[in-house]
Amino acid sequence: MPHVKTAKTAAPGPVTLVATGCGTAIACVCALDLGELERRLGGLWSVLAVAVAALLCAALARALGRLSTVVPSGAGLMAFLSRGLGRRVGLMLMLPYVALVMALVAVEARIVGAVSARLLPISPTVGALVFLVWTWAIARSGLRPGLRAQAVATGVLMIGFSLLALAGVIGAAHRPDFAVHILPAAPSPLALLGGIGQALFLFMGFELVTNQVELVRAPGAIGSALSRSVRLLTVFYALMALAFSTINIGDPQRVPIPPRDGLRQAELASAHAIVLPPPGSGADGDWLTPQLGLGAAAGSPIGAAAIGLLCMLASFTSFNGALLTLSRLVYALAAQGMLPRRLARMDAKRMVPPDALAALLAAAVALTFLLSTRALINAVLAGAAGVAGLVWAAAVTVRERPPFVEPDRPRRHRVAALAVAALFVVFGCGAIVECLNPPAPVLAEVVHAH
Amino acid sequence: MNSPVQERLRQALACFVTAYEASPELVAEQRGWSPIIALAASDAPARVVVSLDDGRIARAAAAETTPPTLEITGDLDTLCDVLALRRDPNEPYLFGELVVTGAEADFVRLDYIASRLCPT
Repeated sequence: MPHVKTAKTAAPGPVTLVATGCGTAIACVCALDLGELERRLGGLWSVLAVAVAALLCAALARALGRLSTVVPSGAGLMAFLSRGLGRRVGLMLMLPYVALVMALVAVEARIVGAVSARLLPISPTVGALVFLVWTWAIARSGLRPGLRAQAVATGVLMIGFSLLALAGVIGAAHRPDFAVHILPAAPSPLALLGGIGQALFLFMGFELVTNQVELVRAPGAIGSALSRSVRLLTVFYALMALAFSTINIGDPQRVPIPPRDGLRQAELASAHAIVLPPPGSGADGDWLTPQLGLGAAAGSPIGAAAIGLLCMLASFTSFNGALLTLSRLVYALAAQGMLPRRLARMDAKRMVPPDALAALLAAAVALTFLLSTRALINAVLAGAAGVAGLVWAAAVTVRERPPFVEPDRPRRHRVAALAVAALFVVFGCGAIVECLNPPAPVLAEVVHAH
Repeated sequence: MNSPVQERLRQALACFVTAYEASPELVAEQRGWSPIIALAASDAPARVVVSLDDGRIARAAAAETTPPTLEITGDLDTLCDVLALRRDPNEPYLFGELVVTGAEADFVRLDYIASRLCPT
C-alpha cells in the first residue's frame, strides 16, 4: 500500500495567480487598517493614500517580476535579498518581517474571536483559540488547500465585500452629510504621510505570489500576476475605504471632527453628553471589527452574518498560508543550527515539521494574549507597515544590483529605483511616527474619554 | 555529454543514490513516490536525471526524454556538495542558490531525504 503520492504539477493559470496575490494580501486585519485609515484621514483622503501606496507597489511588482525571473526560487524575498545583498543582510531584513507576520496572525486571531463572539454565544478568547488550534491542526495533518480552492475563496471574499461596500456607499449617497464624510477636512502633511504608510500595509503579502514560481513554467507569468494583483487590490481597497467612510453616516455619535482640532472636539463633546459602555464590554470590540458595520450599513442582518463568515474564510487562508510558509522557514533555520535543532524534525508521512508548527502555534497563542490593547495592535500594524516598507525598499534596490541588473540598464532606472526605495522607507517610518501620535477621535470616542 | 563536469555531477549523484539505497527504512518511507528528478548545473554543461519508482531508484541517467517532475538548478559546486551529502540542501535553497521547478511537496520530500542522509 503506497504511503505517499507524487505531487501533481499542473501550473496555475493567470487568474489563479492573481487571486493568490490578492488572497495573501487580504485578511481581516486589513479591515482594521482601513478603519484606522478612516479615523486618521477619512473619505477621499484614505482613497488617495491607497492610490499612492498602490503606485509604489506597482513599481515593486515590476522589480519583483525581474527578481523572480532571474532567481525563480520558492523562497521568495529571502532568496532575492540574500542573492543581492548577502545572506546576513537578507536574514536581518527578513527576520523582523517574519516576527511581525506572527504578530499579525495574533491580531487576526483576536479579530476572529471578536467576530465569532458577535455571531455565536462564545467569548472572544475562546473564538480566537479555537481558530488558532483548528488552523494549526489542519496544517499539522498535512492537508494543504489547493491554489485553485484558495482562488475561489478569495474571489468569493472580494466579490462579497465589494457588493456590500457598493451597497453601503449607494445607500448613504442620499443622506445630507454624505459629502462631509466623503471629503472631510484636509489632514496634516504628517498624517497624510503616515496614512500612506498605513495603506502600504494593505498590500503586504501580495508579493508572496513569487513563492509560486516553482509551479509556473511560463516566463513573465509571476511579474504579470503581481502587477494585476496590485491593480485589483487598489480598486478593492479604494472601494472599501469609501464604504468605511459611509458606515457612520447618520450616527450622531460618529460626527467627523477636523484632525487635531482640540477646540472643536471639546465643543462637540460637551454638546453631546453620550455615555458609552466602558472598555472591555462588548461594544469595545467594535473597533476591532469595523467590517461588520459594513454589513449593518448594507441594512441586512444576514449580510452581517455573511460578512462574519467571509472574515473567517479570509483569516483561515491567511493563517494557514503563514503557518505553512513560516514552519518551512523555522525548519530550515533549525536545520542550519540557527534555531534549536529539535525544530528541524520532519514528519515523514505528512511532510510537515511538527515541532516547528507547534512552536509557531505557541507563539501565536502567546501573542494573542499579549496584544490585548488597541495601542499595541495599532503598533503592530504600524510596525508591519514600517518593516514592509524597509523590505520592499531593499527588494527594489536589489533589482538594480547583480545578479538581477541587466548590464546595459540605463542609469535613470537606477535613480528611479532609489527614489521608490526612499519613498517606501519614508512612508513606512511615517506610519510608525503617526502611530505614536494618536489620531483625532470621532465624537463617540471624545465623549467616552470624558 | 561525458565532459569532466558531467562526470563530476554523475559521480556525486551516484554517491547520493548509494547512500539512499543503503537506507531501506528511508526507501520504505517513500513508497508510492515516483518522480523524475533532473539536476542541472547553471554554470556548466552538466545535467543528470534520476527516476524513482514506488520510492526505489529506477534509473540514473545523463538525459531523459520524459519531462522531469522536479528540476533542480544550481551551480555545479552546490549541486555536487548536496549530492555528495556534504551540505544540507535547505540552506542553499533558502538563500536562492538552489532553484526548483516543480511541486513544493516533491521538493520538500527530496529535501527530507537529503537531510536524513546528510551526516551534519
